[in-house]
Amino acid sequence: MAAHSVRLKTLGAETLCGADQPVLDAFLRENVWLPHGCAQGTCGSCKLRVIEGEVDHGAAPEFTLTTDERAEGLALACQARPRSDLLVEPLADIADDGVVRHPLRDVVGTVAELTDIARGTRRLVIDLDEPIPFTAGQYVELTVPGTELRRQYSMANPPSETSRLELHVRHTPGGAATDGWIFAGMAVGDRVDVRGPLGVFGVGRPQDEPAILIAGGTGLAPMKSIVLAALAEGLVPEIWLYHGGRTEADLYDGDVFRELEGRHPDFHYRPCLSEQEWDGASGLVTDVVLADFTSCKGMSAYLCGPPAMVEAGAKVLKRRRMAPRLIFKEEFTDTSDLLSPSTAEEERT
Amino acid sequence: MTAVHETPAWIAEITMAELERNPYPFYERLRKECPVAFIPALGFHVATTKEACQEVGGNSDIWDGLISPAGGRTFGHPNVLNANGPEHDELRGMVEPSLQPAEVNRYVEDLVRPIARRYVEAIEDAGRADLVAEFCEPVSVRSLGDLMGLQSVGSDKLREWFHKLSVSFTNAGVLENGDWANPEGFRPGDEARAEIRAVLDPLIDKWIVEPDDSALSHWLHDGMPEGQVRDREQLYPTVFVFLLGAMQEPGHAMASTIAGLWTKPEQFERVVDDPKQIRRAITESMRWTSPIWSAVARTNKVDTTVAGTFLPAGSLVMLSYGSANHDENDYDAPSEYDLDRAPVPHLAFGAGKHACAGSYFASEVCRIGLEELFEAIPNLERDENKEIDFWGWGFRGPVELHAHWEV
Repeated sequence: MAAHSVRLKTLGAETLCGADQPVLDAFLRENVWLPHGCAQGTCGSCKLRVIEGEVDHGAAPEFTLTTDERAEGLALACQARPRSDLLVEPLADIADDGVVRHPLRDVVGTVAELTDIARGTRRLVIDLDEPIPFTAGQYVELTVPGTELRRQYSMANPPSETSRLELHVRHTPGGAATDGWIFAGMAVGDRVDVRGPLGVFGVGRPQDEPAILIAGGTGLAPMKSIVLAALAEGLVPEIWLYHGGRTEADLYDGDVFRELEGRHPDFHYRPCLSEQEWDGASGLVTDVVLADFTSCKGMSAYLCGPPAMVEAGAKVLKRRRMAPRLIFKEEFTDTSDLLSPSTAEEERT
Repeated sequence: MTAVHETPAWIAEITMAELERNPYPFYERLRKECPVAFIPALGFHVATTKEACQEVGGNSDIWDGLISPAGGRTFGHPNVLNANGPEHDELRGMVEPSLQPAEVNRYVEDLVRPIARRYVEAIEDAGRADLVAEFCEPVSVRSLGDLMGLQSVGSDKLREWFHKLSVSFTNAGVLENGDWANPEGFRPGDEARAEIRAVLDPLIDKWIVEPDDSALSHWLHDGMPEGQVRDREQLYPTVFVFLLGAMQEPGHAMASTIAGLWTKPEQFERVVDDPKQIRRAITESMRWTSPIWSAVARTNKVDTTVAGTFLPAGSLVMLSYGSANHDENDYDAPSEYDLDRAPVPHLAFGAGKHACAGSYFASEVCRIGLEELFEAIPNLERDENKEIDFWGWGFRGPVELHAHWEV
């Protein structure tokens, strides 16, 4: 299919974009960074202004890109396909923020490990035929075999390991990727189509502020990558990692973090259980954070988990006077609006 | 004036007190029934729709800048608001260099951010504050005060001055015979002016021999032949304009932005979480409650008709920007604050040759002030036990803005 030229107004960067290729995809493959979050039309952080030319808005939903915004010439970079040559400008800041970016690529890999690690949770390790360099906190998409469905999973391994990806997958009853594949027929040795890296969440450069990491369930995956990278490279002065679950059956990798805590005095691990009394912290993970800190001024935070937990966490941190610009959020995105009714919602992890 | 006899009762009976309390209902009816109307209580015409304000404000072939009689009584002549032609060019050229966006960008972060931080630090551990008196107004006056060279004048004194000048400026009421309805209303402005001169005269004496980088020093020296400075009597009326409007209004805009966002808690939270949205929040606030609501006027050099109203040469027409920014033709539900409304340009900074010279500076003061406030106190909440009352017809903003937060 014919390709069109797409140019960024301020940066002047230009790329060729296929008629059925999202604009975001085209730029990331050229290693031209564009702000984005979910890459599936739900977060709106890749919004751009189409200054010249026409786009097909693809599956951009009304709640992310309103009719008024379309009329104003806005588009979602992750959904928009060019119908002509384009001149565009992202709405979000594209100034150099010192974070090293990596190009988007499609790589095939082989399942090297598939292990049950917690209730309804599997560790999936994939050996890649070619490396995918990434930043701690980013994610990849796996294509469900025989379909065009893609599911998103954050890397749990540190970015120093680019050829072997560790992903944490939570089972969603009725979910095409989990019920129909990863928790069903997938086996070690299977070949898997991987696309990545994507996302802006994570620690991409050294920072002065101590960090509170709050994870719910498999929201632990990007946190593990962040902790391993930060401790190895000295990116963050002090880290508190909170991992919330209902009971001990929901927790995993505790031994990894306890071992790190023993070796690094500036790393603290706090697992929390909301439905089980034990000798650790009890209650909602966000309430535990609230009780542990009298002030969060001058600190930063990374939150990953179900939307309700992320929202509650941000509120708690603001109550403790953390500057909102230093609160970074990654929600398990609900893709159900974008999929056929027969496909159950699957959480991004 | 014959117009008085043709004036409908609802216009003839409006009082200054009603306008000061809440001008919106009266102006809404004016927009619908008589977009350019003679108001006996004021003794002049008001233009109330966006179209009429643009027509009068933007066409300097027919319209000269003019200050209202009460404004002229307060500031004296010539000031940048009522000067025209070469005299206006001279005054405008004097005040503009330090307010050009490129120049503002050079200094505004270093000027305003430390001031905003200082005032946040003064309240952040208290857990409650009246944000108008303890944050918005002090940040506003301190930022402009330091820019002008008034570091030696305390923020409370600068606030007192603009409050007093404001009382006089908006003391617009006249009797049927044209005399002032409330001559005593000018006393606060007269007191403030005398005090300002007593404080500024020695500073001006110093700047004459020792120029520095303050705006007032530049006003004295810039563009003058070697060894000469501008006569201070040429400066003072415009100094008074600045010490009122420019001191007061960024504070009003900041407070109105918070008050507006508090009407939509979801939008407030969104702006606190994402400081990049502060600019848009300020823009909507300027539309929603325009700080300079009804304080700028024009006079026509020739007979003309605007929005169906005949105006003989020499008429005074007050541009009611606060009303124009609620024009139903441009804005759905104009009395609602709405961050997400389509950003149709507003008229809060006026139009034409007399459009506000400080629009960029004022917006940047608001932006930096709110950035620092929300960064340091992201758990800021409205104190629901206290009403938010707005005041003013000439200038408008919240009287008080009570907030509390967990410490």
